[in-house]
Amino acid sequence: MDRRKFVQFGVAAGGALLANSALGQQKPGAQGPARPAPKRAVFPGGQVAVTTPNGVTLPLKEKDGVKIGHLVAMPIKHTFAPGLEGDCWGYNGRTPGPTIEVVEGDRVRFYVTNKLPEPTTVHWHGVILPNGMDGVAGLNQRVIKTGETFVYEFTFNHPGTFMYHPHFDEMTQMALGMMGMIVVHPKRPKGPPVDRDFVLMTHEWRIEPGARRPDPNEMTDFNVLTFNSKAFPGTDPLVVGRGERVRIRFGNLSAMDHHPIHFHGLTFELTGTDGGEIPAAQRHPETTVLVPVGSTRVIEFVPNEPGDWAMHCHMTHHVMNQMGHGMPVMVGANAQKIDAKVQGLLPGYMTMGHAGMGDMAEMGMPVPKNSIPMVGGPGPFGSIDMGGMFTILKVRDNPDTADPKGWYQHPKGTVADRADEALMKADGIDPDAKFG
Amino acid sequence: MKTTPFFSFSALALLFGLSAGCASSTLATDVREVDDVFKARNRRDLAVSVPDEEDWEKTAAEVPKLLAKPLDADAAVRIALAHNRDLRAAFYEIGIARGQFVQAGLLPNPEIEFELRRSTDPAQPLQADIGLEYDISALLLIPLRKGVAEAELSAERLRVAGEVLDTAYRARTAFYTVQARRQELDLRARALTAFQAGYAAAEELNRAGNIPDVDLATQRAAVESARIDVAEAENLLLDARESLNATLGLSGEQTRWTVEAPLADPSTEALPTEQLEKRAVEASFELAELEARMQVSSRRVGLARTEGNLPHLSGGFHGEHDGFSWELGGHVTVGLPVFNRNQGRVISARSELGAQRERYAATATALRATVRSALNRVESTGRRAQHYRQVVLPAREKALAETLLQYNAMQVSVFQVLDSQRQVTQTGMAYVETLLAYWNARAALDQIIAGRHRGLGLGPAGASGTSMPSGGGGSAEAVH
Ligand SMILES: [Cu+2]
Repeated sequence: MDRRKFVQFGVAAGGALLANSALGQQKPGAQGPARPAPKRAVFPGGQVAVTTPNGVTLPLKEKDGVKIGHLVAMPIKHTFAPGLEGDCWGYNGRTPGPTIEVVEGDRVRFYVTNKLPEPTTVHWHGVILPNGMDGVAGLNQRVIKTGETFVYEFTFNHPGTFMYHPHFDEMTQMALGMMGMIVVHPKRPKGPPVDRDFVLMTHEWRIEPGARRPDPNEMTDFNVLTFNSKAFPGTDPLVVGRGERVRIRFGNLSAMDHHPIHFHGLTFELTGTDGGEIPAAQRHPETTVLVPVGSTRVIEFVPNEPGDWAMHCHMTHHVMNQMGHGMPVMVGANAQKIDAKVQGLLPGYMTMGHAGMGDMAEMGMPVPKNSIPMVGGPGPFGSIDMGGMFTILKVRDNPDTADPKGWYQHPKGTVADRADEALMKADGIDPDAKFG
Repeated sequence: MKTTPFFSFSALALLFGLSAGCASSTLATDVREVDDVFKARNRRDLAVSVPDEEDWEKTAAEVPKLLAKPLDADAAVRIALAHNRDLRAAFYEIGIARGQFVQAGLLPNPEIEFELRRSTDPAQPLQADIGLEYDISALLLIPLRKGVAEAELSAERLRVAGEVLDTAYRARTAFYTVQARRQELDLRARALTAFQAGYAAAEELNRAGNIPDVDLATQRAAVESARIDVAEAENLLLDARESLNATLGLSGEQTRWTVEAPLADPSTEALPTEQLEKRAVEASFELAELEARMQVSSRRVGLARTEGNLPHLSGGFHGEHDGFSWELGGHVTVGLPVFNRNQGRVISARSELGAQRERYAATATALRATVRSALNRVESTGRRAQHYRQVVLPAREKALAETLLQYNAMQVSVFQVLDSQRQVTQTGMAYVETLLAYWNARAALDQIIAGRHRGLGLGPAGASGTSMPSGGGGSAEAVH
C-alpha cells in the first residue's frame, strides 16, 4: 500500500464511521461475535477486495501512475457444471472474463488482443469515458481484427459496478460468453464498510443437450442459466459470516431475460446500480432484486440467521438445467399404458414425467453425452432438484475457516420432519381431510 | 430297274419299323439332348426330367420333399424344372420338330397300279396291267429336306434349352420377390406397431388432459393409414406367392410352402467380370438359336433352288399281260423347269435369311448392352445395399438411440422417439427393396452368362420404391 492509499484509508475509515451513524445503521458485527478486521482490506478506506465466485480478478501492473491490464479475447473450453462442457469465447481463458477491480480516479491502460476468428471491440459498460474509448465498432473505433492488439486508455472517474463486453457482433460474442465485471471502488467510501464483496454476472445460454457450442441465434428458449457462467451444481457457494456486512454486485448480460434474484433467510437493500449509488433515503428492504438485462445491481445485507440459504433467480425455468420445452405434458398419464406399447419396439423406453419431474435427475436414465438435463446437486437431506441460476449462501459463525463444501449443522429440533401422529391428533389435524 | 420294286418293299418295311420305334422314345431323347447341352456347359443343376407320357399326370418324387421344408431359391428352381408344365410342353414341342425331321427323311412311297381289262371280243383274253410309279425327284431331294428339318430341330432344341433357363430364372426371381414382400410385410407391421404405440400414448395423454383432440385424431389417422399399408403389403405378398406358385406349377395342397430366410446380404465374392460380354455371346442360346434358324433358311434356299432347277423326275415300271405273255417296260417322266423354277420360294427363303442375319447382329448388340446394364445394376445395387447395411441402417439406429437419449433428457417427446423408430423401419424397407433389386440383378447376370438375355426383369434403376409409412412425416409434429 503506497502512501496515497494509506491516506485514503484513513480518510475513508473516518467517513465510514460518519456514514454509519448518518444512515442509522448498526455497526457491522454488533449482534454477532466479536471478530477481527477483514484481512482482505486492500482498497482505500479498508475496502475489501471483491471475490468473483468461480472466477478471478484481472492482475494489473502499475507503471508511471497508470494501471496496465491485458485482456485476450479468445475461444475457450468452459465447464458449466460437471458433465457439461462448452466451446465458448471469453477473455484470458475464461468466461466471464477476469473481474477488473480499480479505484475511482485510476488511470488505466488496457491492452486488448483479439484471438477470435472475427473482429471484436471492448465496451466499458456504464463507465463514462472519452468517446473514442467507448468501444462501439464503427461508431467509436475501428474493429480489432483477428490477431491485432488495441489499447484503451482512460480514467475511471466514477465509482460503481460496471461491466465490459464486446460491441461488435454482440449477439454472437456475448452468447458465447464474452463479458466481465468491473468494480470501481470509491476513493472515499461512504456508509458502513463491508466485510465481503462478491460479483456475480448472470447469463443465459442455449446449448442443445449433447452439443458443445452455445447457440447465439436462440432468442427465447435458453436452457443453461448461470452465475459467473456456472450452473448449479457448478456454482461455488458464497460463504459469509453471521453478522458480517455483505455486498453482492450483480450484472446481467443475458440476451433476453431479466433475473429476479431471490434470497432466503435475510433481507437486503439495493445500494447501487451501474448508474451510481442509491441515496440512503431511497433504500428499502427487499428479498428479491430484479437485475435487468444490461444493468448492474448492488445489494448489501447483514445475515443474522446461520444456515445454508438458497439464493436463486426466481424464474422457475431459470433454475433448471437444459430443460426441454417442446414436449407434451406427461403429468397424470398412466405410464403402464404407454410403456406396454412402446417397449415392444424400444426396450430402453420408459415413460417419464407422468408423476411430475422432481425426481428426474435421480432416475439416472442415460442421457446424451455432454449434457446435464435437469441435473441437480446433492444436499444434506437428499438431492437438490435445482439447477441453473442457483447457489447457496452459507452463513457461518466462522466463515474463514468453514469448509465451503460442508453443510450447516442444524440444532436439534429445528428441521422440518414427518409429523408425529400423537401431535397431529392433539392438534386436531386429519391427514385424510376431504375438500370440495 | 428290275430289282427296284423288291428292294423298295424291304426298305419300306425297315423304315416302318424304325419310325414306329422312334415315335415312342422321342421325348426321352429330346430331354436327354437338352440335358446334354447343359452338361456340356457344366450346368447339371439345370437337368430337367420329364416323365414318360403315360406318367404325365404324376408329380416328380423330389417335389413334395422340397416343398416339405422351408423353400430356398435353389429348391424353387428344382421344383420349377421338375414341375413346370409349360416347360414340359416345350419338350413335347421339340417332338414336333423331330417328327418333321423324321418325316423329311422318309422315302417317297411308290405307286402301284393294277389294271384288268376285258375286251368285248370274248376271244380276247383278260388283260392285266401292272405298273409301278416312283417320284425320283422327291427321293433326290430327301437329303436336302432332311437337312432343313435337322436344322429346325436343333434350333428348336436350343429354344427349349433357353426355356429351361427362363423357367429357372423366373422361379428364382419370383422366390426373391416372395422373400422381399414377406420382409416388407414384417416391416410394415412394425411401422404399424409404432403408430399404435403413438396412438396409445396420445390416448393416454388426451385422457389425462395433456393434449387436445386434434393431436389424438392425428395419431389415429396415422394408425389407420398404417393399417392400410399393412393390408397392401399382405396383398403384395399373396401376389408374389401366387406368381411363384404359377412358375413352380403348384396348386392345391402344394401351395402351402413356407419361406423362412430373409433375402441374403449382398454377396461379397467378386463378380466374374472378366470377358463378360464375350462369354455371354458365346453362351447365348438366343444367338445359337438364331444361327440355327439361319442354317434352316440357308438350307431352305438351297432346297428351293435345287427343287426349282431340278427337272421333276418320276419313273416307273410297267407290265402288261395279254393272256399269253408279259410285256415289260419302264418310263421316265421329266417335268421341265421352264416356268416355275421356285423363284418365289428362293426369294422368300433368301429374305428370311437376310432378316435373320440382321436380327442376329441386333440381338448380339442388345445382348452386349444387357450384359453391361446387368453388371452395372449388380454393382450399383450391391454397393447401395452394402451402404444401407453398413452405414445407413447403423446411422438410423444411432439416431434412434440418440433420440431415446434426448427423450430421457426430456428434450423430445415419445412421438419423436417413435418417429425415429419408424425411420429405422423405413430404412429397413429401402434396404429390402435394394436387396431385391440386387438379387434380381444377380439372377439376371447369371442368366445372361448362362445364355439367355431376353425377358430379364431388371426394373427401373435406383428406385428403392418404398413410400413412407402413411401418416409418417407430420404426425410427430402434430403432437409437438
Ligand atoms: Cu432468471
